[in-house]
Formats: sequence, C-alpha cells, structure tokens
Amino acid sequence: MDFKPSPERQILFDTLKKYFENEYSLSDRNIAAHSDLGYSKKAWEAMRDLGILESLIDPELDGFGGTALDISTVFEALGRGLVVEPFLEVGILAAKVLSKGNEAQKSLVKKILENECLPILAHSETDTEYSKSFVETKLSVEADGSYKISGTKRMIKHASEATHFLVTCRNTGDASSKEGISIACIPTDREGIKIDSFATIDGGRVSDLTFTNVNISSEELVGELGMSYSIVSHAIDTGILAICSEALGIMERIKELTLEYLKTRKQFGVPIGKFQAIQHRMAQLLVEIEQARSSVINATIYFDDETEREKTISAAKFSIGKIGTLVAEESIQLHGGMGMTWEYDLGHYAKRLVLIDHEFGDEDFHLQKYISL
Amino acid sequence: MDLNFTKKQENFQIEVRSFLNDNLEPQVVEKVKNGIPITKEDSERWHQKLNEKGWLAGTWPKKYGGKEWDVVEKFIFEEECGSAGAPRIVPFGVGMLAPVLMKFGSQEQRDYWLPRMLTGEDWWCQGYSEPGSGSDLASLKTSAVRDGDYYIVNGQKTWTTFAQHANMIFCLVRTSNEGKPQEGISFILIDMNSPGIEVRPIITLDGSHEVNEIFFSDVKVPVKNLVGEENKGWTYAKYLLTHERTGNANVAVSKRKIQKLKKLADDAKKNEQPLSNDPMFASRLAQIEIDLQNLEITNLRTLASVENGEAPGAESSIIKILGSEIEQDIDNLTRKSLGKRAFVNEPDALSTGYNGAEVFPKAAAYASGKYFNHRKKSIYAGSNEIQKNIISKLMLNL
Ligand SMILES: Cc1cc2nc3c(=O)[nH]c(=O)nc-3n(C[C@H](O)[C@H](O)[C@H](O)COP(=O)(O)OP(=O)(O)OC[C@H]3O[C@@H](n4cnc5c(N)ncnc54)[C@H](O)[C@@H]3O)c2cc1C
Repeated sequence: MDFKPSPERQILFDTLKKYFENEYSLSDRNIAAHSDLGYSKKAWEAMRDLGILESLIDPELDGFGGTALDISTVFEALGRGLVVEPFLEVGILAAKVLSKGNEAQKSLVKKILENECLPILAHSETDTEYSKSFVETKLSVEADGSYKISGTKRMIKHASEATHFLVTCRNTGDASSKEGISIACIPTDREGIKIDSFATIDGGRVSDLTFTNVNISSEELVGELGMSYSIVSHAIDTGILAICSEALGIMERIKELTLEYLKTRKQFGVPIGKFQAIQHRMAQLLVEIEQARSSVINATIYFDDETEREKTISAAKFSIGKIGTLVAEESIQLHGGMGMTWEYDLGHYAKRLVLIDHEFGDEDFHLQKYISL
Repeated sequence: MDLNFTKKQENFQIEVRSFLNDNLEPQVVEKVKNGIPITKEDSERWHQKLNEKGWLAGTWPKKYGGKEWDVVEKFIFEEECGSAGAPRIVPFGVGMLAPVLMKFGSQEQRDYWLPRMLTGEDWWCQGYSEPGSGSDLASLKTSAVRDGDYYIVNGQKTWTTFAQHANMIFCLVRTSNEGKPQEGISFILIDMNSPGIEVRPIITLDGSHEVNEIFFSDVKVPVKNLVGEENKGWTYAKYLLTHERTGNANVAVSKRKIQKLKKLADDAKKNEQPLSNDPMFASRLAQIEIDLQNLEITNLRTLASVENGEAPGAESSIIKILGSEIEQDIDNLTRKSLGKRAFVNEPDALSTGYNGAEVFPKAAAYASGKYFNHRKKSIYAGSNEIQKNIISKLMLNL
C-alpha cells in the first residue's frame, strides 16, 4: 500500500507551494480579494503562466492533467496559498461543463487556457437549497425552435467579470427533479441579464443574476435539451473534491501558524504551548486534521467510480465542514487577541475555511445525503 | 423557591418596557437587531436619553445621580434593553471605572469624574492589556515614574476598545519592580489628549475598527490622577474585573437572537421545506435553546446569592463561559442558516449612504462578520481558559 503521490505530482505540489510562499503575498491577496474586482488580474495571469489551469484540464482539451489526483494536489496547494483567483469557477466548474459541449463550446476551454475568456457556471438559486438538481430558472421553447430563459441565480462567485454564463434552467419537471435540466452557454452581454454584486467575508465578489426573457439559440445548449443534469452533477462533484482539498491545504497552514504561535507566545513566563490544557486542544486539532485528510483521500480514490463517488464525496464534504469550523474556531481561540486581527494571516485562512462549508452543501446537507445514498 | 418578581419589580419592568418603547430610535434598533455596529453618535444619543431618565447608571448611589438599583432591578433593566434591541451602554465609564472610584477613589475624584460620565463629557477606555501581557496581566510593563507632581508614563497598551472615541483612559501601570509583579501596579487616569500619546487602529478579521494600540512616550500625568494608593492597583483591577464579568450572561440578547434565527429558518427553504422543519437544524436550535434556558436559571441563582449578600466569586466565571459560548453558538447557527448568503459582507447595508445592491435578508449583511467578530467573546474579559483556571483553583481547589 502506498499513499505517496507520484513524483510528478509531488514536484507540482512543491513548486506551487514554494511559488505561493515566495510570490503570492497574503497582504496583497487581501487587498485584491476585498477590492471591487475581488481578485488580482496580475496574480491570475502570473499563476496561469505556471500552468495551473492546464493541470486541471484533460489532455484532449490542451491541458495536461484533470484527474481527481491532479485536482486534489493542485487545490491543496491553492488552499495553502489562500488563492482567491477563480481557478475553481473557471478551471473546474466551467471547464468541466464545457468539456461536455459541442465543438464550439469545447473550444472555449482552449480559450480559457489562452486567457481569452472567463466562463462562469450560474447554477445555484435559493440561498439554502444545496441540492444539485434544484433548478427553477425557466426555459421556454419558442415557436421558431429557439429558447428563452427567465429566473434568478444567487451567490455566483466571480460573475461580474465573466465573459460567458453557463446557466442551468429547466423546461419540465419539479424544482428538484433531475429530469428537465438544460445548460445554456451565453455571452454575458446578452440582453436581459442583470447583475447585482456584493463584497464577501472571505474574499472575491459574489453576484445575484437575474435573467429576464433572455434569448438562447439551440446551438447554445450544452448537451441535449433537458438532459444535462449529469453534466452539472459531475462538475459540482469535481468542485467539491477541489474545495475539500483546498480546505486541507488551509488546515495544514493553520496548524503550522498555530503551532508556531504556541511555541513562541509567552505568558506567565513560559510559552503557552507548555500548558497542558492548550497541548490537548492542539493535539485534538492534529487528530481531526488527519481524519479530514483521510476523507479527501477516500473521495479522490473513488472519484471515478460511478457507484461510490457521490457517497465518498458527501462523506468528505461532511468531514471537512465539521472539522473545518472546529479548526477555525480553535485556532483563533488559541491565539487569543492576535487571532482576531486583520493584520495577521490566521483570520483570513479561518474565514475561508468556515465559508467552504457554505459552498455546494454544508455538513448537515451532506450527512443527510450520505444517509440517503 | 420563588422565581417570581415582586409586585414592585413587575411594575419596574413595565416602566422600563414603556420607556424603551417611547425612546428607542427604530433605525438604531434595526442595526442592533441585524448585528450591525452602531456609531459613536448612536451610542451618545442613547446615553443621553437614559441619563435624562436617571437610568444611565441605575445602580449608582442616589447622591451621584443613580437610582440604587439592586441586582434584580439591574437584571430587569438589562433584560428589557436586550430584548428590545437597545444599544448596549458603553461600559468603560459607568460600569467599570465608576465602581472603582466609588470604592477606592478620593472624594475629589468622585465629585469630578462621576458627573462627567453621566453627561458624556468623558468617553473612557480600558488600558489593561499590553502586547506581552494578556492573560498574564500582572506582568505588564508600561511604567509610571514619579517626577514632582507628575508621573511620566512610557509603554504600550493594546486591544483597547473604542480608544479612537475616548478622551480618557484608565490604565494599569508599573510603579515598582520590587516584590511580586502584582505588588508594583498602580491604577491611573490619563487624558488621551496629552502630548506623547499615539493611537493606532487594529482592524479585526471581519474588517471592523473597534480596538487599538496606544503608545505612550513621556506622557505627563498629574499625581492627582492616581486612584487609591500607589502599588495597590492590582486589587482595584481585580475588583473591576468581577464587575466586568457579571452581566455577561446576555440571556435577553440571546433570546432575541434566537427569535430572529427562528424567523430566518421559517423563511428559508431546504429540500423545498422550511429550514425550521429540517431535523438537523431543529436539533441544533433546540440544543441551544435548552442551554440558554439552563443559563437563565444558573444566572438567576448567581444573582439571588448576590442579593443575599454573598459576593460573586468564581460563579461569575461560570456565567462568562456559558454566556459567551451560547451567544457564539447562536451566531454560528445564524450563519449556517443563511446558506450561501453567508458569503455576503456588506456591514454598511443599513447605513444611510449605502449605494450597493440591496441585501436580502437584511441579517445576511453582516452575519458572518458578526460570527467571526464574536469569537472575541471567549477571548476578552479573561479568556475562557483563564475562567476555567479560576474555577479549578477557587471552586475545585485543584
Ligand atoms: C475584541 C477585543 C477587545 C478587547 N478590549 C480590551 C480593552 O478594551 N482593554 C483591555 O485592556 N484589553 C482588551 N482586550 C484584551 C483581552 O483582554 C485579551 O485579549 C485577553 O486577556 C487575552 O490575552 P491575549 O490576547 O494576550 O492572549 P494570550 O494571553 O496570549 O492567550 C493566548 C491563548 O492562550 C491561552 N492561555 C493563556 N494562559 C493560559 C493558561 N495559564 N492556561 C491555559 N490557557 C492559557 C488563552 O486562553 C488563549 O487561548 C480585548 C481583546 C479583544 C480580542
């Protein structure tokens, strides 16, 4: 049995880790993450030059990676760096959807790699429905065979700069039915689209999108009319694997920061790490983070197994949600006032870690899903 | 056992309620209820209204403008304020320094400083913590050296809440390096406008500005601003801390927040059902409610013992731990119940001049920010670990 990554992936991870440590300053990141754009175009371009996007995309679409192992390796490194640029939204969600499309849509993936477009998946609707099949945005078929869509998408990350939206919509079935879901790939300047965007607590902008009678041609559907649930579902599962790996990278970084602090911060004449009450808390964090890592490994191994994927993905997302919040809260507490400051790195890692539980289903949702599978 | 209020207490409760009803500004209540920070001016206007009624410092003796409330009346007042969404009375002057001056200050100090707290002429802040001295407060280094009629103060304080608003600070300073560290500490009052003081903001992880660093270089403080005796400051400081920790139960505030959370959960949908019907959510909520009901009784038991003349000792540590953790649990569940909306951070959404997109529900504007900001509750006023050390030592004799 061997849990070591392949030498190539280890090199990729180490290269990225070093790059983020040396070139991706957290204070610059924080300024960009809370700016009107929500990330840094300069950092985005510099990181693209490293080949990060290629490592997320299949060779047949001009990438050189795209497997579950590639994705978890890269996202763990992105988590360590607390990277806010849209690798998840563009490199995973949009690219996975477009890779199932027609030739024109597939060529958009190549354009992503050439930095010529920024497509964004617009799927999530109400704030508290996490089900992958929850779609109320309406697709109506017009007399001439073209379509119109109307509806609202909420909390779409990095949407304000997008060139294309991949909009999920339905022409038949109940709100949560897997049948009847289509995806439309449209340029964002199409008439009838309104964007309201908000600042976020963990960096990046989110937007509510309103579509009012937006015209769609039949060539703009990704996949067959009403048959695209499996495309969205697979893209989101890949997204879950990615952010669970990101969370692992964050937790490892938090562990390092906290351990360092316990060894250097002195009160009552000794490093606070000498207090047994503190030692046990830190030891517990280590135990939990090891469990989190195992859950992600499990999800990675079974990712291509159609019968096991959803169950191991839900198990991982549940574990990451539960453990992530604990790690964030405990690490702040163990730092005392220092953990509360903007100036110090920890808080920014903690915020992202907690908010990962709000993306693609929280711990409760995935526990219930696990039970149902 | 009798958990009922007396007739007199009931009447007082009714009076408080109607006062709040008539005097609270809806726009400020809206901010408080949505967890959004209020401005200095919001606080000042509210203090003034309370002062006109004689309720800004209800527990004070009548001769200083108080109403001599007992613990139950204080409790009733705070509970009613909490549930109405009134701004919290900024505690540093009326709630913290005043009891110290009344017990240990000179008559001249009382006559001068107490009225100014009521009128709002002075805004106080608390200068205890230093970069090297948080939990181990007695190790503090900021020094005050006697020079004729003045002390010359040098050093640094940190985490000072609202120092940016304050014109006065009460400080613990080192006046002696002899003996145990506790034995060389004095309690002095410093004018924030003195030459040699610099205040720098510390921004917290949620992006707000409530705490600061303060640098003192050769700051001249008149000797008459020493409270009590030189090198006895530790006793006064500890006396103040027990005052700081009581009133940490926050039961009414937590109850109001639970009501708000229930409403959010009724309106939100999960699996096409109200979130409040979700068994996982319902179980989390019920556990918090039970914890809070228990705390309400635990808190009343503590109050009853104080009413009977027993001093609140380590019991105030129990209340501090529970009060902070339960409020954190509610903030946690509120954030969770907002689902994806919890990403939003627009704390200005309820202020005039906000021109961004409307945040709906309003609670989402700052719910995550509040959740992170309230991690402070288990850190300040003596961290919860320190409270457990106190319980271990004083109640368990371990
Ligand atoms: C938002 C905010 C507002 C504040 N406002 C004020 C203010 O207005 N005025 C003021 O003077 N101070 C203020 N404080 C400071 C506050 O009182 C201190 O942060 C607190 O005492 C903890 O000190 P520290 O931050 O230095 O943490 P440390 O003392 O360094 O503690 C770090 C960690 O070690 C733990 N620890 C320390 N010693 C022990 C031990 N013996 N056993 C077990 N665990 C231990 C702590 O519990 C904590 O988890 C504020 C703090 C915050 C966060």
